[in-house]
Amino acid sequence: MASLSTSLLTAVQALVADTGALQVTNNNIANASTPGYSRQVAILQEATPTNDGSSSVGNGVVLEGYQSVRDELVQTQIQQETQSQSGANAQLATLQQIQPTFTTSTQDIGTEMSAMFSSLSSLSTNPTSASAGQAVLTAGKNLATAFNTASNTLTSQQAGLNTQVTQDVSQINQLTQQIAALNPQIAELKATGQDGGTVQDQQNQLVLSLSALTSVAVTQTDNGETLSTGNGTPLVVGSQSFALQTTTGSNGMQQVLDQNGSNITASLTTGDLGGTVQMRDQTIPGLLNQLDTLANQFGSAINAAQAQGFNQDGTAGQNFFSVPSTVAGSAASISVALTDPTQIASSSDGTAGSNGNLANLSAVQTSALPAGQTPGDAYANLVYQVGTLTSNATAESGATTSSLLQLNDQLSSVSGVSIDEESTNLITFQTAYEAAARVVSTVQALFSVTLAMGTVAAE
Amino acid sequence: MRVANMVPDMQYAMQQSQQALSVALQQVSTGLRVNQPSDDPAASANMVVSLASSANVDQFTKNVSSVLSQMETADSSISAVVTSLNTAITLGTSGASGTVTPANRQAIAAQVQGVLTSVIAQANTSYQGVYVFGGSASTTPPFVAASTTFTSTHGSATAPLANTTALTAGSGTAISDATTGDTFVFKAAAGDTVATLATAVSNAVAAGTLSAGTSATINAAGQLAIGTNSSADGIVVSSNDAALGSMTAAPGTGVPNAYAYVGNSTVNNVQVGDSMDVATNLPGNQLFTSGPNVIGSLAGLITALQTGTTLQIGAATTAVSTGLNYVAEQRIPLDNTIGQLNDQESYLGQDTVTLTAHQTALVGANLAEAATNLSQAELTNSAVLAAAAKVLPQTLLNYLAPG
Repeated sequence: MASLSTSLLTAVQALVADTGALQVTNNNIANASTPGYSRQVAILQEATPTNDGSSSVGNGVVLEGYQSVRDELVQTQIQQETQSQSGANAQLATLQQIQPTFTTSTQDIGTEMSAMFSSLSSLSTNPTSASAGQAVLTAGKNLATAFNTASNTLTSQQAGLNTQVTQDVSQINQLTQQIAALNPQIAELKATGQDGGTVQDQQNQLVLSLSALTSVAVTQTDNGETLSTGNGTPLVVGSQSFALQTTTGSNGMQQVLDQNGSNITASLTTGDLGGTVQMRDQTIPGLLNQLDTLANQFGSAINAAQAQGFNQDGTAGQNFFSVPSTVAGSAASISVALTDPTQIASSSDGTAGSNGNLANLSAVQTSALPAGQTPGDAYANLVYQVGTLTSNATAESGATTSSLLQLNDQLSSVSGVSIDEESTNLITFQTAYEAAARVVSTVQALFSVTLAMGTVAAE
Repeated sequence: MRVANMVPDMQYAMQQSQQALSVALQQVSTGLRVNQPSDDPAASANMVVSLASSANVDQFTKNVSSVLSQMETADSSISAVVTSLNTAITLGTSGASGTVTPANRQAIAAQVQGVLTSVIAQANTSYQGVYVFGGSASTTPPFVAASTTFTSTHGSATAPLANTTALTAGSGTAISDATTGDTFVFKAAAGDTVATLATAVSNAVAAGTLSAGTSATINAAGQLAIGTNSSADGIVVSSNDAALGSMTAAPGTGVPNAYAYVGNSTVNNVQVGDSMDVATNLPGNQLFTSGPNVIGSLAGLITALQTGTTLQIGAATTAVSTGLNYVAEQRIPLDNTIGQLNDQESYLGQDTVTLTAHQTALVGANLAEAATNLSQAELTNSAVLAAAAKVLPQTLLNYLAPG
């Protein structure tokens, strides 16, 4: 049976519920710009009605609790896309450092190679000219320097990436520790039927940061999230995290080992670590090998042409370039061996004025090296590869950025805080609170009237 | 779809439009569509090859210019030789006349001697330090006045000098060379031998102080002989070395016509096109001493004028005339090459234009298109910024009454 006391109780419950809803709205507004925050809603439910046999009367509202609004599927897609984006960005950043070395300038290998052949051609018009001979030596030195610079650019980038591997592994280990530490808290909340709330948001944000570093697979369990690398190496199980390690490999590069000591470097393909390893172990060595091959075969071809002729004192031509016997390291160490223009083997018959052998030296430009291409074509191919790699990395970075934007929009449409929406909620709950408060006032007034009615009768 | 926050989309749109604006601005300011390999990898690779071709064409053009100058110098010299030979023929013809007195013939002989000197000067023409008629031995004059061999009085077949014979310390040997105009002076130090002097002479030849071919050797009589083993004047040797004794001139074995060719027959070729080489020199022996011996014919005419009969003078004049015809024939391929070089210069100029056009097509920006793109990018960027400025501050809070 309805009574003033029941009404007062109903109004007080409404005040409590509206206060809770206002607090949630307040929290949402406060965290509108907080990365990883999922908006919360107050779970309001009708109170159990009073049934007096003939009629049923509602008993107001009950605040059941709070719920974060999430979309786990989109969250997972964002993690995966972040891995791809970070991998592409890592490669792009390195390639953007490498690309200028292979861009046409006054000092790139192609230009210096042309300059050397031009100087040889110029020398052919006056083979005894000291200045023309000096120009050939200078051009040769400039070309050797261009090879040295390109090689140095690649190897210094490789060294930088090697350092990055260690730093990435260190960050991964920190993140997995933090993620593992949150698992028991989430498991405890879930065990009591509560929403993960803020703790879950924190963990999701940490997993996202981890995804930016390496490929990671996430599995939900009763003990929280289980994380593993792309090849199944466990990173987090329950409250335990498994640290990755680094060790110097036989090639002098840092290798990544799992907790059992197994080398998992080759299996790392995405995330900053994956992109870094890919560049360090695949892309740069590939480019370096081609550069070394070109330097070695070009230098050897010029030396072979020198050997066919005679220098200005009539002795057999000696090596023009100093190149190592093995291909590896050739670009880094190639240098001009001649010290005097008279040592250029221009002559084909031993007389100083003969230019017969310069044709052999110049023919290197149009002859295929053992690798199958002319020096110019081999260098052009290298430029093409650097350009294609950079272009592809740029495209992938752009595509993943665009894709991530869409996914974040999707997630935001579910979990994001809308200030306008929260403003309307604010008004709604404010009004509701005010109305409930008015009910309390009204009931209080009725109580007073009722009490006063008793007092008048006594008088 | 519920939209909670438009800021990320706005930021992305602004970034995209600004990037497009940056690209458009770069294309307009540089005039290039491809500024780095990633802009168009295939075009960049083709550009490497094309630039190498351009560098070659530029160098071929320079080669043409250089070779052309050298060949025009040679052609000019041959032209002067032709003129000189015509003069000699005229002189020979007049000298062959029976009415000319012996004194006048001697005077004509002296004039022909001047012609010979002039021809030799032309045969020793150099272009930028290169003797154009010397073959590949082009660093020294190819025609040198033949020299007398000077022989020491010491030594004999029974008491010969040897390379190991010690020279007198402090003594001096001087060799004056009329061809180079220099004098080589050797001062014997303690321990020096004949071999030391021979080496010093050889070094002086290499240095250009003495004419090519000059040497110091022990001859069959066991004496030291210094000279080029030729028959005419041009070298004078003096020595106060007690071991060598005084130096006296002795006739050499001689080479024809008083001048020796010390060049060689090597022809240098220079590349002036991808598949075009041209010979840059005409060896002097081919031009002046092989076939009809031009220099020999002039020397013969001088001798005939000095001591010969009118018939002999006439025959010598005919020989000069034959030499003239031969030289004129030799000039034809040279002139043809000059013509080829001029044609090649034009072709290379056209090639440069073609390559430049190709390179512009590869990496150049279409300026009209680039300017349009820039306008479009500016417009898009303005629109994005305007939209952001209008939309981002828009919230319900703006419309709610305070308090």
